[in-house]
Amino acid sequence: MTDDTQSLADGLRRRDPDLLDRLIEQYQQRLYRYLLFLTGNPALAEDLFQETWIRVLERGHQYNAKSKFESWLFAIARNLVIDVSRRKKIASLEELGDSESNQPFDPPDEQTVSPLQLLISRENEQTVQLSLLKIPAYYREVLLLRFHEELSLEQIAAVLATPISTVKSRLYRGLTVLKSALPEGDA
Amino acid sequence: MIENPHLRARQLFAQSLVEGLISADETWLYAHLRMCEACSRDAASTRELLSALRTVPVAVPRNLTARTQMRVRLRAQQAAQASDSNLALWIISAASWLLGVFSAPLVWRGLAWVGTRLNLPKPVLELGFVLWWAIPALIAVTAVIHQKAIGSGFAARSFSSGSKPPVGGL
Repeated sequence: MTDDTQSLADGLRRRDPDLLDRLIEQYQQRLYRYLLFLTGNPALAEDLFQETWIRVLERGHQYNAKSKFESWLFAIARNLVIDVSRRKKIASLEELGDSESNQPFDPPDEQTVSPLQLLISRENEQTVQLSLLKIPAYYREVLLLRFHEELSLEQIAAVLATPISTVKSRLYRGLTVLKSALPEGDA
Repeated sequence: MIENPHLRARQLFAQSLVEGLISADETWLYAHLRMCEACSRDAASTRELLSALRTVPVAVPRNLTARTQMRVRLRAQQAAQASDSNLALWIISAASWLLGVFSAPLVWRGLAWVGTRLNLPKPVLELGFVLWWAIPALIAVTAVIHQKAIGSGFAARSFSSGSKPPVGGL
C-alpha cells in the first residue's frame, strides 16, 4: 500500500471535495470512454459518469487502498451499468446500446498531423469503433480495459469480480471476435 | 505442444498481447514471424488493430466534468449538513433521556400530587407518566422524518439543475 493510495483513501473517507474535484478531472476521459464503450450510448454514459462520482463520494469509506483506485472506480461504474440494465429489464449488457448511438463518436480536433494522415487514421479508428460496438459487451469491456486503459489482468479481474482465467479467456476470444468483426481487408 | 507451427504462432502472439511470453516461446515466435509471411501479416494486422483501439478518440462532452464536480460538491455539502444535524439530534436525544431518567421520580410525585388533588384514577396517572416519556421521542422521530423529506427535495432539485436525471430517467 503506497502513501498515495493511503492518502487517497483518507481523503475519500473525509469526503474531501477538493480531492474529488481533482479525481473527476483526472479520470474524466478514461471513465467516460469506458462507460461510452460499455453502453454504446452517449447520453447514458453521461448520466452514469455523474452517478459514478456520486457513488464514489457516498462509498468513499469503502475504498481500502489495497487495490488501485481506477480498478475500484471502474468496478463502481460497471455495477451502475449492470443496475441500469436490470432496471431496464435488459437480458444482457449487450442490449444497452441503441441503434442510433452506434454511430462513430465525435473525434476531437487534431492539429499535429497532416490532413491525409488524419483522414486515414480517422477512417481506421472509425472502423475499429464500429467493430467494437458490434461485438458483445463482455468482450468489448475486457479489450478496452486491457488495451486502452492498460490495466493488468489482476486489476481487470477485480473490476469484473471474476477469476483471472475468465479474464484471459474473454481477452483471447475477444481479440478473435474483434478481428472477425472488422470489414474484409481491415482484419 | 501444438503441432501446426502457424496455429502455434498465432496462439503465442495472442498470448504475448494478453499475458506475455516466456523467453523461449518469444524467441520461437519471432523466428517464425520472420520466416512466415502469412503469420507475420496476421500479427501486423492485430498490432494495427490494437493501435487503432488505443488511439480511438473520445471527446468528453462539454461541461460534463464541471457539472459533475458541482453535483458532487452539492451532495457532499448536503451530506455534511445531514451529519451535523444528526449529531445535534443525538445530543438532544441523550440529554432528553438523561433528564427523563433523573426527573422520573419528581414527575411521578408531581403526577401523584395532581392525581390526589383532582381525584384522577391511577391509569390516567400512568398514562400521563408514559406520555412524559414518549412525547420527546415522538418529536425526535417527527424531526428526523421532516429532515429526510427536506433532504430528498434538495436532492431532486439538484438533479433538475443538471442536464438530465441520472439513472432513473433512462
